Amino acid sequence: MNNLREVWSKRFVYYINELQKYMKYIVSGHIAIVFVFVIGAAGYSYSEWLKTAPLDFPVFLLVAFLLSLTITISTPVTLMKNADSVYFLPLETKLDEYFKPALKWTYFSTVFVSALVFVVSIPMLTKLSGLIKNEILFLFLLILVLKYWSMQVEYSYRFAENGKFVWVDRFVRFVLLFTGLFFLLTGSYVLAIAIACICVMYLVVWKKKMKEVAFPFDHFINVEQSRMMRFYRFANYFTDVPHIRGMTKRRKLLNFVYKFVPYKQENAQLYLVLRTFIRTDDYFYLWVRLTALAMLGAIFIPIPIVAIIFTGALAFATVIQLKHALLSGFEFRMDLLFPIDSNARLLAVKKLLRMFQFVQVVFVLIGIVIQGQFTLLMLLVPVFVLVVSELTLRMSK
Amino acid sequence: MTVLEVNNVTGGYTRKPVLHDLSFSIGKGELVGIIGLNGAGKSTTIKHVIGTMNATKGEILLNGKTLKEDPALYRSSFSYIPETPVLYDELTLLEHMQLTAMAYNLEESIFKARLESLLKEFRMEKRLNWFPTHFSKGMRQKIMIMCAFLVSPSLYIIDEPFVGLDPLGIQSLLNQMQARKEEGASVLMSTHILATAEKYCDRILLLHNGKIRAQGTMEDLRAAFQMPNATLDDLYIEMTKEQQNEQFA
Repeated sequence: MNNLREVWSKRFVYYINELQKYMKYIVSGHIAIVFVFVIGAAGYSYSEWLKTAPLDFPVFLLVAFLLSLTITISTPVTLMKNADSVYFLPLETKLDEYFKPALKWTYFSTVFVSALVFVVSIPMLTKLSGLIKNEILFLFLLILVLKYWSMQVEYSYRFAENGKFVWVDRFVRFVLLFTGLFFLLTGSYVLAIAIACICVMYLVVWKKKMKEVAFPFDHFINVEQSRMMRFYRFANYFTDVPHIRGMTKRRKLLNFVYKFVPYKQENAQLYLVLRTFIRTDDYFYLWVRLTALAMLGAIFIPIPIVAIIFTGALAFATVIQLKHALLSGFEFRMDLLFPIDSNARLLAVKKLLRMFQFVQVVFVLIGIVIQGQFTLLMLLVPVFVLVVSELTLRMSK
Repeated sequence: MTVLEVNNVTGGYTRKPVLHDLSFSIGKGELVGIIGLNGAGKSTTIKHVIGTMNATKGEILLNGKTLKEDPALYRSSFSYIPETPVLYDELTLLEHMQLTAMAYNLEESIFKARLESLLKEFRMEKRLNWFPTHFSKGMRQKIMIMCAFLVSPSLYIIDEPFVGLDPLGIQSLLNQMQARKEEGASVLMSTHILATAEKYCDRILLLHNGKIRAQGTMEDLRAAFQMPNATLDDLYIEMTKEQQNEQFA
């Protein structure tokens, strides 16, 4: 553990493997295909727009805004773990060995976003604003430098202030970047240089302050954990991620639902399952998302047979995923010891899903009413949702 | 009258057994402590009794029935407090209690009365609508204890109950155990707090390498180790020495 550089290298390899593992699912998932189409369509409309764009379009404002935004957000990627606050403590003076490669990685893994925004803006800058090749090259190099500055400030700020009010620092950096870039693009070089000086001073101040405090382990560990959680949550849309611990919320508005389950021994599992479903974000939002999609389908798909297939597929997806989620889990739970029928959980899950699929049908029906096409075929849509839900419930394992 | 009977039980997590031919019993109204080093098989014994692990050999009878013969009777005959609190993140304190009461078929009026007295005893009245994520380790443990004492089964199975509890919490737990004992319930408790075990347990099982090294009252244990006047701490240390000698032999 003495060589922190080695610790970083080991974690980095593990982290990259973890990213690759989930990227496989993300890239091969259906949403990736949608992305490809969306990007293609956006690229095409952008090039078409460039042909007819008005010459007074505020290119500099837009480019300065987008670049400042992407340069500002420079959350450090530290790969720190919970236990580090204990094990790294004696090595506090040597932490540089760990953070140098960490910040290097932070830089290279985030600078490309700003670079990408810039590359996409190049046609706009040359065509509408008449920038020449050397100016573009200079700007590109400047962006690389600004990103480095921004990242160093964010790290020093979080270090010095224990991460408190990080949005204030972000706002300051955004304003500095935005005004600086705008002055530079519009040719007010003196003002741009003045802003650059402020930027340097701003960094120096935080670097100095950072030397006065102890390393805020908890803050950086929290930042890292929530960053990884965001990634896992995103990956969870494509595949099952074991790291996702179900976040829960009270959702007080839905408290009235619990009244439908009276105090009786037979209802013990339903009492539990109902609360698990409503209060666990993963389960509840899954149902909300798919129900909203089904309703949108009922509103906007005018061809009944297509609407039937679309909403039916969503009903199938809702039931099969929720049934699996609510019945799986290998951890010990106290209800496994309850003196109730071992089948009770399955029966409760079925009852719950019947209830909520009925609500889904109601939403689909509202969608049809909004569309206003009251043909027999169209009215078959909700019937199909019910039938598919019931069949999935009965026939799935 | 015997409440729990463990007869020649062999079992473990893998094919290599942790428990070897284990036998003991607990009578009505008895508080039995199960003591042993880390890895001696205390928690494994408890897991076999509550039915989350199956014995490869032997049988366990609770009120004369095995779990297989009458699951509902077996399960309603005990309540269990695990070593680490196992709570539902999505249920409030009140809901944990209500769920337990429903599952154990407690009449609603009895539930309400018992809830009130337990909340008072464990000083948790003001936290009824809190979720477990906002509770400290000790408070989480208190929820488990209150759930267990909400129902009145014939056997309480308690794994390392004192860890994380404040002194008042420990006293409340001991009060509850004493009160239930007087009503005729039995308790099987695993612990490392030997002074408390010595003071409160009617009988002690000294578990060593998955076997019972000695069992009985303090007098019986002293006789077994040939150490008159020894405290349970002394006996425990003696057992440790035996283990070390075995290792060096």
